[in-house]
Amino acid sequence: MEKLLSLLKDGHARTLEMLAYELNTDVDDIKRKLEYLEMVGAVKKVSFNACSGNKCSECALHSHSDTTPCKGCLPDGGFKNMGEMWEVI
Amino acid sequence: MNSATIALLGQPNSGKSTLFNALTGLRQHVGNWPGKTVEKKEGSFFHKGKEYLVADLPGSYSLSANSDEEVITRDFIASGKADVVCILADSSQLQRSLFMLADYAGIDVPCFLLLNMADVAKDQGKQIDAKAISQKLGIPVIPFSATDVKSYDGFYKTLEEAIKKGSKLDVDSLKKQYDGIKGYQEILSLIPENTVPGYSSMWLAVKLMENDKVVCEKLKSALDSETYKKLISAAKETQGAVATGGCKFAWIDDVLSGAVNSSGKKVSLSKLDKIYTSRIWGKPAVILTVLLGLIGSFIPAIPLMIVGSLILMLKVPVASALAAVGAPEVLTLVINDIIIQSFSYIFKMLGFVFGVTLVFGLLEEVGVMARISYVFDNTMGKLGLQGKSVMPFLISFGCTMGGAAGARVIDNWGQKVLTIALAWAVPCGAAWATIPMLSTIFFGPGAVGVIVAILLTMLVHMWITAKVFGGHLVKKEDRYGMIMELPPYHKPKWGALFRYVFGRTKETFFRVAKVVLLVCSIFWLLSYSPSGNGGILYAIGVAIEPVTKIFGMPWQLFLSYIASAVGKEGAIGVISALYNGGSYSAAFTEAMSGAAAATNLNEILLANVSRPEALAFIFAMTFNMPCVVALAATYQETHSAKWTGLIVLYYTAISLLLAFLAYHIGMLIW
Repeated sequence: MEKLLSLLKDGHARTLEMLAYELNTDVDDIKRKLEYLEMVGAVKKVSFNACSGNKCSECALHSHSDTTPCKGCLPDGGFKNMGEMWEVI
Repeated sequence: MNSATIALLGQPNSGKSTLFNALTGLRQHVGNWPGKTVEKKEGSFFHKGKEYLVADLPGSYSLSANSDEEVITRDFIASGKADVVCILADSSQLQRSLFMLADYAGIDVPCFLLLNMADVAKDQGKQIDAKAISQKLGIPVIPFSATDVKSYDGFYKTLEEAIKKGSKLDVDSLKKQYDGIKGYQEILSLIPENTVPGYSSMWLAVKLMENDKVVCEKLKSALDSETYKKLISAAKETQGAVATGGCKFAWIDDVLSGAVNSSGKKVSLSKLDKIYTSRIWGKPAVILTVLLGLIGSFIPAIPLMIVGSLILMLKVPVASALAAVGAPEVLTLVINDIIIQSFSYIFKMLGFVFGVTLVFGLLEEVGVMARISYVFDNTMGKLGLQGKSVMPFLISFGCTMGGAAGARVIDNWGQKVLTIALAWAVPCGAAWATIPMLSTIFFGPGAVGVIVAILLTMLVHMWITAKVFGGHLVKKEDRYGMIMELPPYHKPKWGALFRYVFGRTKETFFRVAKVVLLVCSIFWLLSYSPSGNGGILYAIGVAIEPVTKIFGMPWQLFLSYIASAVGKEGAIGVISALYNGGSYSAAFTEAMSGAAAATNLNEILLANVSRPEALAFIFAMTFNMPCVVALAATYQETHSAKWTGLIVLYYTAISLLLAFLAYHIGMLIW
């Protein structure tokens, strides 16, 4: 786990497969460790909801909640096929 | 004993509720745990004349004090109210779901392990040796499927066995794992057994290292203040939850070692991903993909561009019809030079909006956009930015205001400001609608070269901007890595994609139509002079032209450049008004006389604007301040008039510098 965290702190982006390769393990192992690190607050999932909420003219027009992306800024329903991203806190 | 209490413990989606419902049927009731809003589900069933009370404990990831659910769960178990704890784990992902068991280890209550969803694991090709796991754990372990009634005989048998034997989890091998943590032994020695009833010293020591607030409070109450201070001090020296989590996972791996065989295929990178994730080929591949995408967006743009050209053909019949009914000349000019001309441009712009949105939407749909984010992230890292900065940049391809607003997901203020500053360099949707249209008019097939040059300039611009502002805004240590789970490639859902593209095009149409018509009208009015002596704009334009010429722009293009700071769409309206407005200057009319008969503004532009001037304008307009709405969003997110002002000044200066360079390079070429 310490090795995983130190790898994440070096400033490079990696895929789960790359992390698994560098740590000589499998993707499932990386996934469960990321889940744990997320639970203890060491990493967090990146939110793709870049909508500016009611401060964006588009959103204000449609008066939707902060959690719904703006149609004018993002594909309808947000970025759905962007995979998952985590970052170290 | 004619009754016994079972507590069902497991992570969410481990199948607890299915088991609970199957065991209790209608003999269940739902309430709340005392003083909490957490749902309490209890029920009962009879088996071989004995009544079993069942408590379906709240589903939680672990037994840490992260939530009310977790605290309620562990307090209930440790209180001794349950005679046996049935721990459920998902057989299809044991590596992950046994974490609850690892976190349970050290709680002094009999238990047994149910390897639920055994059927799913079997379908995955996994073979699980429950007996081997049972031997290592010292408790009964059975493969189980909560949805299969045949599984329940084994369940009842195991339940009876666990209660009869009072089987407790063997934690020796886990203890050995914890022994490896620096400082653990010292902490353990300070916590005598039975300090907190129901929990072993090992469990309490681990939770203390994990900074579990509730456990800390319990230890504070149970121990003398000196010992507690020593404990806290020793816990701070450890690696905390990272170290204990590592031990738990290592223990799980040890338990499963030799007991689980998987015939599943090893995950490997596809050929395409090997290229995208390559340190050498990743960037060229991504740049090529984006370029091909932008070039490819010309194709779906064609139909709307044809519509735009057809609209222009209305000028002659409309002028004839108006003349026939004796309409004043000014009305004919307004309809032809403002309305028809504007809608012609609006539809041509929409063609590119449609094309770019379709191509980039398609890239996102099939999973390529995630790869682009991944590759750009490493580049962002070199600029001192976080992975999340990629998203505002991608959004800025559509709308800079959205990109600036999207930067709010970045917690670090300096990185946020730098991200917004760089997002301004990304040409927005309106710019991407204008660039190809003007490039096509002036450079024909060479428009592709202009687009490539714009993209390369964007990258260099971002790099230079990061160097200029980065030193003041971000520190190297602020940057952390990013982990990505790349989505699998899949076929696009064409229906959803086209709904999005048409929706976006429709929204753009209404927004652009308003801006273009308004700006076009204002500039047309300011440039209109019935006497032919020149309007207000002509007077201003002639006065400033010696300066604007330095940047390679005639005054008409320079005013369009100024208008582009209000909104990129406005630039086209101004060009349309100034070059098609007619009578603001006798000299200019003369200059235009060669094209006086032309109804196509393209020809008028070609007759009056040289290629170097057009190139200068394209660069100036593209890299100018995006629009006033983006400016407002930037101020809103940065909360700094100083930095917002600096960014505006910087972009104005850079856009004029780029215009100067583009003009002089153009002069060398043409």
